[in-house]
Amino acid sequence: MQQKMTRRQVVKKIAAITAAGAGAGVLLPSQSLAFTKLIERIIQTEFETKYEVLPPLPRVSFGMAIDLGLCIGCRRCSYACKRENSVPDSISPPYIMLMEVDPITLRRGSSILDERGNGLKNRLMYTKLRKDKEYMPLQCNHCEAPPCAKVCPTTATYKDKDGIVMIDYDKCIGCRYCMVACPYNARRFNWTEPKVAAEDINPLVPLRYHGVVEKCTFCVHRTRRGRTTRCVEACPNKARVFGNLNNPESKISKLIENEKSFRLKEGLNTKPQIWYLTQTKKKPMRWYKPLPPPKHIRGLS
Amino acid sequence: MIGIRKGIADIKSHLLEVYKATGKGFCLFIIILLFPIAWGMIVWYHTIVEGHLGSGMSDVVPWGVFISALAYFVGASAGATIVGLLIYAFGRTDYKPIGAMAILFGLICIFGATQFVMMDVGVPWRALKVPWILHNPTSMFFISSTSYFGFMIILTAELYFSIKVIGTKPTGFDKKMAKWLGILAVPYALFVVHTFTGTIFGVIKAREMWNTPLIPVHFVLSALACGFAGVALVTVITAKLEKREILTAATYSHMGLVLAGFITATLFLDFTDYIVLLYSQTAEGVETWHIISERYTGLFILNILGLVVADVILMTKRGRTENGLLIATTLTMLAIGAYRITLVSIGQIIPLYPQLGEVHYVPSREEVIMGVGMLALMVLLYSVLAKALPIRKSV
Ligand code: SF4
Ligand code: SF4
Repeated sequence: MQQKMTRRQVVKKIAAITAAGAGAGVLLPSQSLAFTKLIERIIQTEFETKYEVLPPLPRVSFGMAIDLGLCIGCRRCSYACKRENSVPDSISPPYIMLMEVDPITLRRGSSILDERGNGLKNRLMYTKLRKDKEYMPLQCNHCEAPPCAKVCPTTATYKDKDGIVMIDYDKCIGCRYCMVACPYNARRFNWTEPKVAAEDINPLVPLRYHGVVEKCTFCVHRTRRGRTTRCVEACPNKARVFGNLNNPESKISKLIENEKSFRLKEGLNTKPQIWYLTQTKKKPMRWYKPLPPPKHIRGLS
Repeated sequence: MIGIRKGIADIKSHLLEVYKATGKGFCLFIIILLFPIAWGMIVWYHTIVEGHLGSGMSDVVPWGVFISALAYFVGASAGATIVGLLIYAFGRTDYKPIGAMAILFGLICIFGATQFVMMDVGVPWRALKVPWILHNPTSMFFISSTSYFGFMIILTAELYFSIKVIGTKPTGFDKKMAKWLGILAVPYALFVVHTFTGTIFGVIKAREMWNTPLIPVHFVLSALACGFAGVALVTVITAKLEKREILTAATYSHMGLVLAGFITATLFLDFTDYIVLLYSQTAEGVETWHIISERYTGLFILNILGLVVADVILMTKRGRTENGLLIATTLTMLAIGAYRITLVSIGQIIPLYPQLGEVHYVPSREEVIMGVGMLALMVLLYSVLAKALPIRKSV
C-alpha cells in the first residue's frame, strides 16, 4: 500500500475547512460532522488507499489441484486464508467455503455440482466430520474465461497474465455485477466497514473498505514473490497443490495429466483453474477436528 | 445578449404566472412529498457512510429491489417513445396533447432508474466516472448505463422542441426537430436502451433463469406495456385532478387497444416461459417453479392475474374509458413491477450449488425507506416540472 501523505494532508485540510465553513454558516454541528464523515469517505476511497500489487511473473500460469481423497473438510485452509488476507469477520462466508457432499457425487468422476437435487445432501454448516462423506473446498477458480471480468463495467476485475483474476479496489464501484455473474459464489462484498485488529492485519494485504468487492487472489502477495499460497501451507493432509501450469514438469501439471479430475460446472466453459482430483491412490491421512463453521451467512438459512 | 435577457424575463413571468395559479392543495402535496424524500436521503447518506449492512441483500443475493427498480423504470421510460411514435410516424395527432407530457414522464423515469443504481452501488461517486473514465466495452452494465445518458439527452432535446412546437411561434426547424427526435427516440429506446437493459440479465450464464435470448425481447415488450400504461395512468390522473378533458373518448379507446396489444404480447411470453419451464422438467425449472409457487405466490399471482384482468378490461369497449383505463393501467404497472421483482430475485434465489441452503431475500426497512424516498422524489419532480413547463398549453 502506498499512502500519498502530502496529497492526503492537503485534501484533508480542504475537507476540514469546507466542513468547518459549512458547519459555521449553514449547517447544524451534527450535520457538519456528518458532512465531514462523507468527505472523509470520499478521500478514503479516492485518494488514501492505494493497493500496490507486484506485476505478474513471466511465462507463468497459476493453477491449483485439490485432492478430494485427502481433504477432510477441517476448514484449516479457510481460517488460514482469512488471516493471511486480512479478511474481516463481516465477510461471511470466508473466501474458502467447505461443503460436505455425498460421496456418490465424486465417485462419478464428474461434478455433481453441475446437477441439482436428486436427493443428495450437501451442507456448509457441518460441525462434525463424517467418514461416509466427502468434503469439498469452494473458492474463486481463477477461471480462464472469467465471466466476472467480462461483465465488470469498470475493468476493476481483470484476468492477469499469470492467470490470477484480480480486483483493483481503487476502481471497483461496488455494483456487484461480477457477483451475480460468478457461477461459483466466489465473491464477497464489503457490506460494512471491514474491521480487523491492527496486529492481525497482514502488512502485505491492506484492509479493503466498505462498498467494494473482494475474493481469493491466489495469495498474489506471496505467489508473485515465489512462495506458495497460504491454504496450501495450512492444509494438514497436503490435499492442495499449487503451481505453474505452463511447466509440464511441475507437480500440478503431472497430477492433472495423470489423475482423474474434474472442474466445477465445466458446461459453462469458464475453464476454472482449480482441478478436483477424485480417484487418487490411498495416502496417509489424518482426521483432525474441524474448526467451527461461520456463525451466520447473510442470505442463507 | 438582448435575446438572452428577453428569454430570462419570459421565463420569470411564466414562472410567476404558474406560481400565482398554484393552489394550496398542490403546495401541501409537495410538502408531504418532502418528508419521505428527506427520510430517504438521510438513510441513503447513512448507507454511503456506513455501508449497505442494513439492506436485505447478501453475497448470495447481491441484487435487490434497487436493481428491480432500475429494470422497472428503464422499462417505464418507453412510454415517452410510443406516444411520439404514434404522433409522428402514425399521424395520430389526437395524441398531441400528451406528447410533451409523455416525454417528461419518460425523462423522469430514466432519471429515477439511474438514481436507483446510485443508491445500490457501494461507491456512488466513483460510479459517476463509469462512462467517461472507467469503462469496459464488454460489460452490459457499461453499455446500458452509457445508453441511459444518450436517452436522457435525446428526451431532453425532444422535450425542448416539443415545448417550442406547442408554443406561440414555432419555426419549421422546431417542428422538424420535434418530429425526427420523436421518431429517432423509438429505435434508440427499443434496440439500445431496453434491449441492453434486458441483456444485463440475459448474458449471465451463471443464472439459469436469466440466461435466455428471450429475456431482452420479454423485457422490451413488458417495457412497452408498462411505459404506455404509465403515460395513460398519468394522463387519466391529471385529467381527473384538474377536472378537464385532455384526450377525447376515441383517443382513450385507441390507447386502451394499443395497451391491450402490448399486454397480450407480454402475457404470451409469460405463458411460454412457464410452459417451457414446467414441461421440460429440468432441475432448475422444477426448482424455479417451487420457488415461484411456494415462496413468491403473491408476486406470481399479481403478475399473471394483473395482466389478464387488465387485458380483459381493455378488450371491452366500456373498459377503454377514463375509469376503465385507470384500473387497467394501475393493474398493468403493478403486474409488471411484480414481474421485475420476480425476475431479479428468483434469478438469484436458486442456489448456485445444490442444497447450499435456503437462499432468501426480503427488502429491508432501509431499502424500503430509500426506495419510497426516490419514488417520492420522482413524483415531486414530475409534478413540479409538469406545472412549471408550458407542456399543457396545447390542451
Ligand atoms: S470463480 Fe467466479 S470470481 Fe473467480 S474467476 Fe471464476 S467467475 Fe470470477
Ligand atoms: S462490483 Fe466492482 S469488481 Fe464487481 S463488477 Fe462492479 S465494479 Fe467490477
